[in-house]
Amino acid sequence: MSNILAIAHKELKSYFASPIAYIVIGLFALLYGYFYVAILAYFVRQSLQMSEFGGQGPQAMDINQQLIRPLMTNVTILVLFVMPMVTMRTYSEEKRSGTIELLLTSPLTDFQIIMGKFLGALALWGIMLLVSMIHLAILFVYGREWKPLLTAYLGLLLLGGCFLSVGLFISTLTKNQVVAFMLTFTVFLFLWIITWIGSFAGPTVDSLTQYLSIIDHFDDFGKGVIDTTHVIYYVSFITFGLFLTAKSVDSERWRA
Amino acid sequence: MIEVQHLTKRYGRVTAVEDVSFRVERGEIFGFLGPNGAGKTTTMRILTGFIPPTEGKAIVAGFDVFDQPIEAKRRTGYLPETPPLYPDMSVIEYLTFVAKIKGVPTAERRQRIQAVMERTRIDDMADRLCSKLSKGYRQRVGLAQAIVHNPDVLILDEPTAGLDPKQIIETRELIKELAGDHTIILSTHILPEVSQTCQRVVIINKGHVVALDTPDNLTARLRGSETMYVQVDTNGLDAAGALQRIAGVTRVAESDRRDGLVGYEIESQHGRDVRRDLARAVVSNGWGLLELRPMRMSLEEIFLSLTTEETPTPMPAITEGEPVHE
Repeated sequence: MSNILAIAHKELKSYFASPIAYIVIGLFALLYGYFYVAILAYFVRQSLQMSEFGGQGPQAMDINQQLIRPLMTNVTILVLFVMPMVTMRTYSEEKRSGTIELLLTSPLTDFQIIMGKFLGALALWGIMLLVSMIHLAILFVYGREWKPLLTAYLGLLLLGGCFLSVGLFISTLTKNQVVAFMLTFTVFLFLWIITWIGSFAGPTVDSLTQYLSIIDHFDDFGKGVIDTTHVIYYVSFITFGLFLTAKSVDSERWRA
Repeated sequence: MIEVQHLTKRYGRVTAVEDVSFRVERGEIFGFLGPNGAGKTTTMRILTGFIPPTEGKAIVAGFDVFDQPIEAKRRTGYLPETPPLYPDMSVIEYLTFVAKIKGVPTAERRQRIQAVMERTRIDDMADRLCSKLSKGYRQRVGLAQAIVHNPDVLILDEPTAGLDPKQIIETRELIKELAGDHTIILSTHILPEVSQTCQRVVIINKGHVVALDTPDNLTARLRGSETMYVQVDTNGLDAAGALQRIAGVTRVAESDRRDGLVGYEIESQHGRDVRRDLARAVVSNGWGLLELRPMRMSLEEIFLSLTTEETPTPMPAITEGEPVHE
Protein backbone atom coordinates (compact mmCIF):
# COMPACT_ATOMS: atom_id res chain seq x y z
CA MET A 1 0.00 0.00 0.00
CA SER A 2 2.80 2.41 0.85
CA ASN A 3 4.28 1.67 -2.57
CA ILE A 4 1.00 2.53 -4.27
CA LEU A 5 0.81 5.78 -2.33
CA ALA A 6 4.43 6.62 -3.11
CA ILE A 7 3.71 6.31 -6.82
CA ALA A 8 0.37 8.10 -6.61
CA HIS A 9 2.08 10.95 -4.78
CA LYS A 10 4.85 11.10 -7.37
CA GLU A 11 2.31 11.12 -10.19
CA LEU A 12 0.26 13.89 -8.66
CA LYS A 13 3.36 15.95 -8.02
CA SER A 14 4.57 15.50 -11.57
CA TYR A 15 1.25 16.83 -12.90
CA PHE A 16 1.82 19.99 -10.93
CA ALA A 17 5.49 20.22 -11.89
CA SER A 18 4.49 20.42 -15.53
CA PRO A 19 1.96 22.88 -16.98
CA ILE A 20 -0.52 20.05 -17.53
CA ALA A 21 -2.26 20.24 -14.16
CA TYR A 22 -2.74 23.99 -14.42
CA ILE A 23 -4.00 23.88 -17.98
CA VAL A 24 -6.35 21.01 -17.32
CA ILE A 25 -7.73 22.50 -14.09
CA GLY A 26 -7.94 25.96 -15.64
CA LEU A 27 -9.75 24.82 -18.78
CA PHE A 28 -12.11 22.67 -16.79
CA ALA A 29 -12.95 25.42 -14.32
CA LEU A 30 -13.42 27.98 -17.09
CA LEU A 31 -15.76 25.90 -19.24
CA TYR A 32 -17.58 24.57 -16.19
CA GLY A 33 -18.15 28.18 -15.16
CA TYR A 34 -19.45 29.05 -18.60
CA PHE A 35 -21.93 26.17 -18.64
CA TYR A 36 -23.00 27.05 -15.14
CA VAL A 37 -23.67 30.71 -15.93
CA ALA A 38 -25.46 29.92 -19.17
CA ILE A 39 -27.74 27.30 -17.63
CA LEU A 40 -28.33 29.41 -14.55
CA ALA A 41 -29.33 32.40 -16.68
CA TYR A 42 -31.78 30.23 -18.58
CA PHE A 43 -33.12 28.86 -15.31
CA VAL A 44 -33.56 32.35 -13.89
CA ARG A 45 -35.43 33.54 -16.97
CA GLN A 46 -37.75 30.56 -16.79
CA SER A 47 -38.41 31.13 -13.11
CA LEU A 48 -39.30 34.72 -13.84
CA GLN A 49 -41.73 33.67 -16.53
CA MET A 50 -43.20 31.15 -14.15
CA SER A 51 -43.75 33.76 -11.47
CA GLU A 52 -45.52 35.94 -14.04
CA PHE A 53 -47.97 33.10 -14.42
CA GLY A 54 -48.30 33.33 -10.66
CA GLY A 55 -46.85 29.91 -10.07
CA GLN A 56 -49.61 28.40 -12.22
CA GLY A 57 -47.29 26.96 -14.84
CA PRO A 58 -47.40 23.39 -16.17
CA GLN A 59 -44.94 22.18 -13.56
CA ALA A 60 -43.00 23.51 -10.61
CA MET A 61 -39.46 24.69 -11.15
CA ASP A 62 -37.01 22.15 -9.78
CA ILE A 63 -33.42 23.19 -9.36
CA ASN A 64 -32.21 19.58 -9.54
CA GLN A 65 -34.09 18.83 -12.74
CA GLN A 66 -33.55 22.11 -14.46
CA LEU A 67 -30.18 23.29 -13.29
CA ILE A 68 -28.02 20.52 -11.87
CA ARG A 69 -29.00 17.82 -14.31
CA PRO A 70 -28.41 19.73 -17.56
CA LEU A 71 -25.26 21.18 -16.05
CA MET A 72 -23.87 17.74 -15.27
CA THR A 73 -24.74 16.42 -18.73
CA ASN A 74 -22.77 19.26 -20.24
CA VAL A 75 -19.90 18.77 -17.85
CA THR A 76 -19.52 15.15 -18.94
CA ILE A 77 -18.60 16.50 -22.38
CA LEU A 78 -15.73 18.38 -20.78
CA VAL A 79 -14.52 15.13 -19.34
CA LEU A 80 -14.22 13.77 -22.87
CA PHE A 81 -11.71 16.47 -23.74
CA VAL A 82 -9.88 16.87 -20.49
CA MET A 83 -9.20 13.28 -19.45
CA PRO A 84 -7.05 12.25 -22.41
CA MET A 85 -4.78 15.17 -21.48
CA VAL A 86 -4.38 13.77 -18.00
CA THR A 87 -3.50 10.24 -19.01
CA MET A 88 -1.60 10.78 -22.25
CA ARG A 89 1.77 11.03 -20.54
CA THR A 90 1.47 8.54 -17.68
CA TYR A 91 3.25 5.62 -19.34
CA SER A 92 4.40 7.28 -22.55
CA GLU A 93 6.65 9.70 -20.70
CA GLU A 94 8.18 7.00 -18.51
CA LYS A 95 8.96 4.96 -21.57
CA ARG A 96 10.41 7.87 -23.47
CA SER A 97 12.68 9.07 -20.66
CA GLY A 98 13.70 5.58 -19.57
CA THR A 99 12.38 5.97 -16.03
CA ILE A 100 10.21 2.93 -16.68
CA GLU A 101 13.43 0.96 -16.14
CA LEU A 102 13.58 2.31 -12.61
CA LEU A 103 9.98 1.34 -11.85
CA LEU A 104 10.20 -2.11 -13.40
CA THR A 105 13.48 -2.99 -11.70
CA SER A 106 12.29 -1.81 -8.28
CA PRO A 107 10.66 -4.26 -5.90
CA LEU A 108 7.17 -3.29 -7.05
CA THR A 109 4.44 -5.39 -8.58
CA ASP A 110 2.76 -4.25 -11.79
CA PHE A 111 -0.44 -3.90 -9.80
CA GLN A 112 1.18 -1.42 -7.42
CA ILE A 113 2.57 0.67 -10.28
CA ILE A 114 -0.73 0.73 -12.15
CA MET A 115 -2.84 1.47 -9.07
CA GLY A 116 -0.42 4.20 -8.06
CA LYS A 117 -0.67 5.85 -11.44
CA PHE A 118 -4.43 5.45 -11.52
CA LEU A 119 -4.92 6.93 -8.05
CA GLY A 120 -2.55 9.79 -8.86
CA ALA A 121 -4.62 10.68 -11.92
CA LEU A 122 -7.86 10.20 -9.99
CA ALA A 123 -6.57 12.58 -7.32
CA LEU A 124 -6.01 15.23 -9.99
CA TRP A 125 -9.55 14.67 -11.23
CA GLY A 126 -10.73 15.00 -7.63
CA ILE A 127 -8.96 18.35 -7.37
CA MET A 128 -10.63 19.50 -10.58
CA LEU A 129 -14.02 18.55 -9.18
CA LEU A 130 -13.27 20.37 -5.93
CA VAL A 131 -12.42 23.52 -7.86
CA SER A 132 -15.69 23.27 -9.79
CA MET A 133 -17.64 23.09 -6.54
CA ILE A 134 -16.90 26.76 -5.98
CA HIS A 135 -19.65 27.61 -8.47
CA LEU A 136 -22.16 25.41 -6.76
CA ALA A 137 -21.29 26.76 -3.33
CA ILE A 138 -23.26 29.88 -4.28
CA LEU A 139 -26.43 27.83 -4.41
CA PHE A 140 -26.03 27.03 -0.75
CA VAL A 141 -26.50 30.69 0.10
CA TYR A 142 -30.15 30.06 -0.80
CA GLY A 143 -30.27 26.86 1.20
CA ARG A 144 -29.66 24.04 -1.23
CA GLU A 145 -29.90 20.38 -0.51
CA TRP A 146 -26.48 18.79 -0.86
CA LYS A 147 -27.39 15.15 -1.43
CA PRO A 148 -28.26 15.30 -5.16
CA LEU A 149 -25.06 17.21 -5.76
CA LEU A 150 -23.09 14.59 -3.96
CA THR A 151 -24.50 11.82 -6.13
CA ALA A 152 -23.80 13.86 -9.25
CA TYR A 153 -20.20 14.31 -8.16
CA LEU A 154 -19.87 10.65 -7.29
CA GLY A 155 -21.05 9.94 -10.82
CA LEU A 156 -18.52 12.36 -12.26
CA LEU A 157 -15.74 10.81 -10.22
CA LEU A 158 -16.63 7.33 -11.45
CA LEU A 159 -17.06 8.51 -15.03
CA GLY A 160 -13.66 10.17 -14.87
CA GLY A 161 -12.21 6.97 -13.43
CA CYS A 162 -13.41 5.05 -16.50
CA PHE A 163 -11.66 7.50 -18.78
CA LEU A 164 -8.51 7.36 -16.72
CA SER A 165 -8.35 3.57 -16.70
CA VAL A 166 -8.67 3.32 -20.46
CA GLY A 167 -6.39 6.33 -20.99
CA LEU A 168 -3.79 4.61 -18.85
CA PHE A 169 -4.07 1.50 -21.00
CA ILE A 170 -3.67 3.48 -24.21
CA SER A 171 -0.64 5.33 -22.89
CA THR A 172 1.11 1.99 -22.33
CA LEU A 173 0.83 1.34 -26.05
CA THR A 174 2.91 4.23 -27.29
CA LYS A 175 5.86 6.45 -26.47
CA ASN A 176 4.15 9.33 -28.22
CA GLN A 177 1.87 11.51 -26.13
CA VAL A 178 -0.03 12.94 -29.09
CA VAL A 179 -0.83 9.46 -30.33
CA ALA A 180 -1.96 8.52 -26.82
CA PHE A 181 -4.21 11.58 -26.67
CA MET A 182 -5.82 10.99 -30.06
CA LEU A 183 -6.46 7.29 -29.44
CA THR A 184 -7.95 7.92 -26.02
CA PHE A 185 -10.16 10.66 -27.34
CA THR A 186 -11.38 8.54 -30.24
CA VAL A 187 -12.19 5.56 -28.04
CA PHE A 188 -14.27 7.72 -25.75
CA LEU A 189 -16.02 9.61 -28.47
CA PHE A 190 -17.00 6.24 -29.85
CA LEU A 191 -18.33 5.05 -26.47
CA TRP A 192 -20.24 8.31 -26.30
CA ILE A 193 -22.05 8.00 -29.61
CA ILE A 194 -22.36 4.24 -29.64
CA THR A 195 -26.15 4.53 -29.06
CA TRP A 196 -26.62 6.33 -32.37
CA ILE A 197 -26.65 3.12 -34.33
CA GLY A 198 -28.79 1.42 -31.71
CA SER A 199 -32.03 2.99 -32.87
CA PHE A 200 -31.60 1.67 -36.41
CA ALA A 201 -30.25 -1.76 -35.64
CA GLY A 202 -33.10 -3.41 -33.81
CA PRO A 203 -34.00 -3.84 -30.16
CA THR A 204 -31.19 -6.21 -29.18
CA VAL A 205 -28.45 -3.98 -30.48
CA ASP A 206 -30.27 -0.99 -29.06
CA SER A 207 -30.27 -2.31 -25.51
CA LEU A 208 -26.70 -3.51 -25.91
CA THR A 209 -25.41 -0.15 -27.09
CA GLN A 210 -27.34 1.57 -24.35
CA TYR A 211 -25.69 -0.65 -21.84
CA LEU A 212 -22.26 0.04 -23.30
CA SER A 213 -22.77 3.77 -23.65
CA ILE A 214 -20.67 5.33 -21.00
CA ILE A 215 -22.87 8.38 -20.79
CA ASP A 216 -26.30 6.75 -20.43
CA HIS A 217 -25.17 5.37 -17.12
CA PHE A 218 -24.47 8.83 -15.84
CA ASP A 219 -28.03 10.07 -16.21
CA ASP A 220 -29.32 8.73 -12.90
CA PHE A 221 -26.40 10.21 -10.98
CA GLY A 222 -27.33 13.60 -12.44
CA LYS A 223 -30.88 13.15 -11.19
CA GLY A 224 -29.61 12.49 -7.70
CA VAL A 225 -30.15 8.74 -7.76
CA ILE A 226 -27.49 6.18 -6.93
CA ASP A 227 -28.44 3.03 -8.79
CA THR A 228 -26.13 0.09 -8.10
CA THR A 229 -26.42 -1.00 -11.76
CA HIS A 230 -24.58 2.10 -12.81
CA VAL A 231 -22.08 1.95 -9.99
CA ILE A 232 -21.30 -1.64 -10.94
CA TYR A 233 -21.02 -0.67 -14.58
CA TYR A 234 -18.49 2.04 -13.83
CA VAL A 235 -16.51 0.01 -11.33
CA SER A 236 -16.30 -2.94 -13.72
CA PHE A 237 -15.37 -0.60 -16.55
CA ILE A 238 -12.51 0.77 -14.43
CA THR A 239 -11.42 -2.73 -13.42
CA PHE A 240 -11.40 -3.79 -17.05
CA GLY A 241 -9.36 -0.76 -18.08
CA LEU A 242 -6.80 -1.44 -15.38
CA PHE A 243 -6.75 -5.11 -16.31
CA LEU A 244 -5.93 -4.19 -19.92
CA THR A 245 -3.20 -1.89 -18.64
CA ALA A 246 -1.70 -4.71 -16.58
CA LYS A 247 -1.78 -7.08 -19.56
CA SER A 248 -0.21 -4.48 -21.80
CA VAL A 249 2.60 -3.73 -19.34
CA ASP A 250 3.25 -7.43 -18.94
CA SER A 251 3.30 -8.17 -22.66
CA GLU A 252 5.54 -5.16 -23.24
CA ARG A 253 8.06 -6.87 -21.02
CA TRP A 254 8.15 -9.90 -23.28
CA ARG A 255 8.43 -7.84 -26.41
CA ALA A 256 10.88 -5.23 -25.11
CA MET B 1 26.18 -13.99 -5.47
CA ILE B 2 25.14 -13.90 -9.10
CA GLU B 3 24.67 -17.00 -11.15
CA VAL B 4 23.68 -16.98 -14.77
CA GLN B 5 22.87 -20.28 -16.42
CA HIS B 6 22.47 -20.77 -20.15
CA LEU B 7 20.74 -17.47 -20.66
CA THR B 8 19.19 -16.96 -24.06
CA LYS B 9 17.11 -14.05 -25.26
CA ARG B 10 15.46 -13.90 -28.64
CA TYR B 11 13.43 -11.09 -30.12
CA GLY B 12 11.39 -12.74 -32.79
CA ARG B 13 14.00 -14.20 -35.08
CA VAL B 14 16.84 -12.09 -33.74
CA THR B 15 18.95 -13.68 -31.02
CA ALA B 16 20.38 -11.03 -28.73
CA VAL B 17 22.03 -13.33 -26.23
CA GLU B 18 22.69 -17.04 -26.61
CA ASP B 19 23.67 -19.54 -23.93
CA VAL B 20 25.50 -17.13 -21.65
CA SER B 21 26.66 -18.59 -18.32
CA PHE B 22 28.85 -17.14 -15.60
CA ARG B 23 29.16 -16.78 -11.84
CA VAL B 24 30.13 -13.75 -9.85
CA GLU B 25 31.36 -14.15 -6.29
CA ARG B 26 30.52 -11.86 -3.39
CA GLY B 27 32.44 -8.59 -3.35
CA GLU B 28 33.82 -9.02 -6.83
CA ILE B 29 33.87 -6.42 -9.61
CA PHE B 30 32.92 -8.25 -12.74
CA GLY B 31 33.43 -6.63 -16.13
CA PHE B 32 31.20 -7.05 -19.09
CA LEU B 33 33.04 -6.26 -22.24
CA GLY B 34 31.83 -6.25 -25.79
CA PRO B 35 31.25 -4.09 -28.83
CA ASN B 36 27.99 -2.18 -29.12
CA GLY B 37 25.09 -4.50 -29.76
CA ALA B 38 26.89 -7.52 -28.33
CA GLY B 39 24.14 -8.22 -25.79
CA LYS B 40 25.57 -6.52 -22.70
CA THR B 41 22.51 -4.41 -21.99
CA THR B 42 20.16 -7.29 -22.73
CA THR B 43 21.97 -9.51 -20.23
CA MET B 44 21.89 -6.79 -17.61
CA ARG B 45 18.21 -6.13 -18.18
CA ILE B 46 17.51 -9.80 -17.62
CA LEU B 47 19.57 -9.79 -14.42
CA THR B 48 17.61 -6.82 -13.08
CA GLY B 49 14.27 -8.37 -13.96
CA PHE B 50 13.40 -5.70 -16.50
CA ILE B 51 12.88 -8.29 -19.20
CA PRO B 52 12.48 -12.07 -18.88
CA PRO B 53 14.88 -14.43 -20.64
CA THR B 54 13.68 -16.73 -23.41
CA GLU B 55 15.61 -19.61 -21.88
CA GLY B 56 17.91 -20.22 -18.97
CA LYS B 57 17.87 -18.67 -15.54
CA ALA B 58 19.52 -16.00 -13.47
CA ILE B 59 19.96 -16.11 -9.72
CA VAL B 60 20.77 -12.88 -7.95
CA ALA B 61 21.58 -12.83 -4.22
CA GLY B 62 20.06 -16.27 -3.88
CA PHE B 63 16.76 -15.50 -5.59
CA ASP B 64 15.66 -16.49 -9.05
CA VAL B 65 15.06 -13.23 -10.90
CA PHE B 66 12.09 -14.68 -12.69
CA ASP B 67 10.41 -16.72 -9.96
CA GLN B 68 10.98 -14.37 -7.03
CA PRO B 69 11.37 -11.03 -8.74
CA ILE B 70 10.46 -8.87 -5.73
CA GLU B 71 13.04 -10.50 -3.47
CA ALA B 72 15.74 -10.35 -6.14
CA LYS B 73 14.94 -6.73 -7.01
CA ARG B 74 15.06 -5.71 -3.36
CA ARG B 75 18.71 -6.78 -3.35
CA THR B 76 19.70 -5.30 -6.68
CA GLY B 77 20.72 -1.77 -7.59
CA TYR B 78 20.66 -0.89 -11.25
CA LEU B 79 22.04 2.02 -13.19
CA PRO B 80 20.77 1.82 -16.77
CA GLU B 81 22.67 3.33 -19.66
CA THR B 82 20.76 6.58 -19.29
CA PRO B 83 20.18 7.38 -15.62
CA PRO B 84 16.42 7.07 -15.01
CA LEU B 85 15.84 10.55 -13.57
CA TYR B 86 12.58 12.43 -13.35
CA PRO B 87 13.40 15.84 -14.81
CA ASP B 88 10.88 17.74 -12.71
CA MET B 89 12.06 16.41 -9.34
CA SER B 90 14.90 17.81 -7.28
CA VAL B 91 17.73 15.44 -6.43
CA ILE B 92 16.52 14.97 -2.88
CA GLU B 93 12.89 14.45 -3.92
CA TYR B 94 14.04 11.93 -6.47
CA LEU B 95 16.15 9.97 -4.01
CA THR B 96 13.31 10.06 -1.48
CA PHE B 97 10.96 8.60 -4.06
CA VAL B 98 13.45 5.91 -5.03
CA ALA B 99 14.13 5.07 -1.36
CA LYS B 100 10.38 4.66 -0.82
CA ILE B 101 9.79 2.33 -3.73
CA LYS B 102 12.96 0.36 -2.97
CA GLY B 103 11.61 -0.29 0.51
CA VAL B 104 14.00 1.73 2.69
CA PRO B 105 12.23 1.98 6.09
CA THR B 106 10.87 5.46 6.86
CA ALA B 107 12.99 5.80 9.98
CA GLU B 108 16.25 5.27 8.12
CA ARG B 109 15.33 7.11 4.94
CA ARG B 110 16.69 10.57 5.66
CA GLN B 111 19.96 9.36 7.04
CA ARG B 112 20.39 6.82 4.27
CA ILE B 113 19.79 9.43 1.55
CA GLN B 114 22.25 11.80 3.22
CA ALA B 115 24.90 9.10 3.40
CA VAL B 116 24.42 8.15 -0.24
CA MET B 117 24.57 11.77 -1.39
CA GLU B 118 27.81 12.26 0.46
CA ARG B 119 29.26 9.10 -0.93
CA THR B 120 28.48 10.00 -4.52
CA ARG B 121 29.40 13.67 -3.86
CA ILE B 122 26.09 15.14 -4.90
CA ASP B 123 25.10 16.69 -1.56
CA ASP B 124 25.80 20.17 -2.93
CA MET B 125 23.14 19.55 -5.60
CA ALA B 126 20.42 18.25 -3.27
CA ASP B 127 17.87 20.91 -4.19
CA ARG B 128 18.74 21.19 -7.87
CA LEU B 129 16.17 19.90 -10.36
CA CYS B 130 17.32 16.75 -12.11
CA SER B 131 16.73 18.39 -15.50
CA LYS B 132 19.27 21.09 -14.59
CA LEU B 133 22.11 18.71 -13.76
CA SER B 134 25.23 18.28 -15.85
CA LYS B 135 25.96 14.91 -17.41
CA GLY B 136 28.46 14.03 -14.68
CA TYR B 137 26.02 14.81 -11.91
CA ARG B 138 23.21 12.95 -13.64
CA GLN B 139 25.40 9.89 -13.72
CA ARG B 140 26.24 10.27 -10.04
CA VAL B 141 22.61 10.74 -9.07
CA GLY B 142 21.96 7.58 -11.08
CA LEU B 143 24.59 5.82 -9.03
CA ALA B 144 23.17 7.22 -5.78
CA GLN B 145 19.77 5.91 -6.83
CA ALA B 146 21.26 2.45 -7.39
CA ILE B 147 22.83 2.21 -3.93
CA VAL B 148 20.23 4.00 -1.83
CA HIS B 149 18.70 0.76 -0.53
CA ASN B 150 22.14 -0.75 0.13
CA PRO B 151 21.73 -3.65 -2.31
CA ASP B 152 23.91 -6.74 -2.32
CA VAL B 153 24.32 -6.56 -6.06
CA LEU B 154 25.02 -3.53 -8.20
CA ILE B 155 24.51 -3.65 -11.93
CA LEU B 156 25.97 -0.72 -13.80
CA ASP B 157 25.44 -0.32 -17.52
CA GLU B 158 28.30 1.77 -18.90
CA PRO B 159 28.71 3.88 -15.78
CA THR B 160 31.41 6.07 -17.31
CA ALA B 161 29.89 6.65 -20.74
CA GLY B 162 29.90 10.29 -21.72
CA LEU B 163 31.90 11.58 -18.76
CA ASP B 164 35.01 13.70 -18.95
CA PRO B 165 38.37 12.11 -17.96
CA LYS B 166 38.33 13.52 -14.44
CA GLN B 167 34.79 12.29 -13.83
CA ILE B 168 35.70 8.92 -15.27
CA ILE B 169 38.53 8.54 -12.77
CA GLU B 170 36.25 9.65 -9.91
CA THR B 171 33.53 7.24 -10.95
CA ARG B 172 36.01 4.37 -11.17
CA GLU B 173 37.34 5.18 -7.72
CA LEU B 174 33.81 5.26 -6.39
CA ILE B 175 33.03 1.90 -7.96
CA LYS B 176 36.16 0.40 -6.42
CA GLU B 177 35.14 1.80 -3.03
CA LEU B 178 31.72 0.23 -3.39
CA ALA B 179 33.08 -3.22 -4.16
CA GLY B 180 33.41 -5.30 -1.06
CA ASP B 181 30.09 -4.12 0.36
CA HIS B 182 28.46 -4.82 -2.95
CA THR B 183 28.99 -7.30 -5.72
CA ILE B 184 29.32 -5.30 -8.90
CA ILE B 185 28.74 -6.08 -12.54
CA LEU B 186 29.65 -3.30 -14.90
CA SER B 187 29.57 -3.14 -18.63
CA THR B 188 31.77 -1.05 -20.82
CA HIS B 189 33.36 -0.93 -24.18
CA ILE B 190 36.31 1.04 -22.84
CA LEU B 191 39.07 -1.51 -22.38
CA PRO B 192 41.45 0.17 -19.95
CA GLU B 193 38.49 0.58 -17.64
CA VAL B 194 38.20 -3.15 -17.34
CA SER B 195 41.85 -3.76 -16.57
CA GLN B 196 41.77 -0.94 -14.01
CA THR B 197 38.60 -1.78 -12.15
CA CYS B 198 37.54 -5.34 -12.72
CA GLN B 199 38.76 -8.50 -11.10
CA ARG B 200 37.28 -10.68 -13.79
CA VAL B 201 36.06 -10.04 -17.27
CA VAL B 202 33.66 -11.69 -19.61
CA ILE B 203 33.96 -10.73 -23.25
CA ILE B 204 30.82 -11.20 -25.24
CA ASN B 205 30.32 -10.77 -28.90
CA LYS B 206 27.14 -11.25 -30.93
CA GLY B 207 25.44 -12.66 -27.87
CA HIS B 208 28.07 -15.30 -27.14
CA VAL B 209 30.65 -15.49 -24.38
CA VAL B 210 34.02 -15.54 -26.15
CA ALA B 211 36.26 -15.25 -23.10
CA LEU B 212 35.96 -15.29 -19.34
CA ASP B 213 38.96 -14.71 -17.08
CA THR B 214 40.96 -12.15 -15.13
CA PRO B 215 42.30 -9.29 -17.24
CA ASP B 216 45.87 -10.45 -16.49
CA ASN B 217 45.23 -14.01 -17.51
CA LEU B 218 43.46 -12.90 -20.63
CA THR B 219 46.46 -10.90 -21.74
CA ALA B 220 48.88 -13.64 -20.78
CA ARG B 221 46.94 -16.52 -22.14
CA LEU B 222 46.01 -15.43 -25.54
CA ARG B 223 49.41 -16.35 -26.92
CA GLY B 224 50.56 -19.92 -26.55
CA SER B 225 54.15 -18.74 -26.02
CA GLU B 226 55.71 -15.88 -24.13
CA THR B 227 57.36 -13.11 -26.07
CA MET B 228 60.14 -10.88 -24.81
CA TYR B 229 61.48 -7.76 -26.33
CA VAL B 230 65.21 -7.15 -25.98
CA GLN B 231 67.13 -4.15 -27.18
CA VAL B 232 70.89 -4.53 -27.26
CA ASP B 233 73.89 -2.45 -28.29
CA THR B 234 76.15 -4.89 -30.17
CA ASN B 235 78.32 -2.42 -32.07
CA GLY B 236 76.96 -3.77 -35.33
CA LEU B 237 77.28 -7.47 -34.57
CA ASP B 238 74.38 -9.83 -35.06
CA ALA B 239 73.15 -11.13 -31.72
CA ALA B 240 70.45 -13.40 -33.08
CA GLY B 241 72.62 -16.51 -33.12
CA ALA B 242 73.69 -16.13 -29.52
CA LEU B 243 70.13 -15.51 -28.36
CA GLN B 244 68.82 -18.45 -30.30
CA ARG B 245 71.14 -20.80 -28.41
CA ILE B 246 69.57 -20.04 -25.03
CA ALA B 247 67.61 -22.99 -23.72
CA GLY B 248 63.86 -22.52 -24.05
CA VAL B 249 63.99 -19.91 -26.80
CA THR B 250 61.98 -21.03 -29.79
CA ARG B 251 62.33 -18.14 -32.18
CA VAL B 252 64.28 -14.93 -32.51
CA ALA B 253 63.22 -12.19 -34.87
CA GLU B 254 64.78 -8.84 -35.40
CA SER B 255 62.15 -6.20 -34.95
CA ASP B 256 63.95 -2.88 -35.31
CA ARG B 257 67.40 -1.46 -35.77
CA ARG B 258 68.66 2.10 -35.49
CA ASP B 259 71.97 3.77 -34.57
CA GLY B 260 73.61 0.43 -33.91
CA LEU B 261 70.88 -0.60 -31.48
CA VAL B 262 69.00 -3.73 -32.40
CA GLY B 263 65.70 -4.86 -31.03
CA TYR B 264 64.67 -8.51 -31.04
CA GLU B 265 61.42 -10.27 -30.36
CA ILE B 266 62.18 -13.52 -28.62
CA GLU B 267 59.58 -16.21 -28.28
CA SER B 268 60.05 -18.88 -25.67
CA GLN B 269 58.17 -21.96 -24.61
CA HIS B 270 55.00 -21.31 -22.73
CA GLY B 271 55.50 -21.02 -19.00
CA ARG B 272 59.26 -20.73 -19.22
CA ASP B 273 60.88 -17.53 -17.99
CA VAL B 274 64.03 -16.90 -20.04
CA ARG B 275 64.70 -13.35 -18.85
CA ARG B 276 67.65 -14.25 -16.62
CA ASP B 277 69.32 -16.33 -19.31
CA LEU B 278 68.75 -13.62 -21.87
CA ALA B 279 70.34 -10.98 -19.67
CA ARG B 280 73.28 -13.24 -18.89
CA ALA B 281 73.88 -14.05 -22.57
CA VAL B 282 73.85 -10.39 -23.57
CA VAL B 283 76.15 -9.32 -20.78
CA SER B 284 78.59 -12.22 -21.20
CA ASN B 285 78.98 -11.28 -24.87
CA GLY B 286 79.98 -7.80 -23.78
CA TRP B 287 76.95 -6.11 -25.35
CA GLY B 288 74.93 -3.40 -23.74
CA LEU B 289 71.49 -4.44 -22.50
CA LEU B 290 69.25 -1.43 -23.00
CA GLU B 291 65.82 -2.89 -22.67
CA LEU B 292 64.29 -6.20 -21.67
CA ARG B 293 60.56 -6.51 -21.26
CA PRO B 294 57.80 -9.03 -21.76
CA MET B 295 55.62 -8.28 -24.76
CA ARG B 296 52.01 -8.88 -24.09
CA MET B 297 48.97 -8.34 -26.11
CA SER B 298 47.11 -5.39 -24.80
CA LEU B 299 43.50 -5.88 -23.92
CA GLU B 300 42.64 -3.96 -27.05
CA GLU B 301 44.38 -6.53 -29.20
CA ILE B 302 42.70 -9.40 -27.40
CA PHE B 303 39.38 -7.75 -27.68
CA LEU B 304 39.80 -7.16 -31.38
CA SER B 305 41.10 -10.61 -32.07
CA LEU B 306 38.23 -12.15 -30.16
CA THR B 307 35.45 -10.03 -31.47
CA THR B 308 36.49 -9.95 -35.11
CA GLU B 309 36.78 -13.72 -35.19
CA GLU B 310 34.31 -15.10 -37.73
CA THR B 311 33.13 -17.80 -35.39
CA PRO B 312 33.66 -17.32 -31.70
CA THR B 313 34.35 -21.00 -31.04
CA PRO B 314 38.02 -21.34 -32.06
CA MET B 315 39.12 -19.74 -28.80
CA PRO B 316 38.55 -22.61 -26.41
CA ALA B 317 41.83 -21.92 -24.65
CA ILE B 318 40.37 -18.81 -23.07
CA THR B 319 38.16 -20.22 -20.41
CA GLU B 320 38.40 -20.11 -16.72
CA GLY B 321 40.33 -22.64 -14.67
CA GLU B 322 43.88 -23.63 -15.38
CA PRO B 323 46.39 -21.34 -13.70
CA VAL B 324 48.80 -19.33 -15.76
CA HIS B 325 52.55 -19.18 -15.32
CA GLU B 326 54.48 -16.15 -16.26
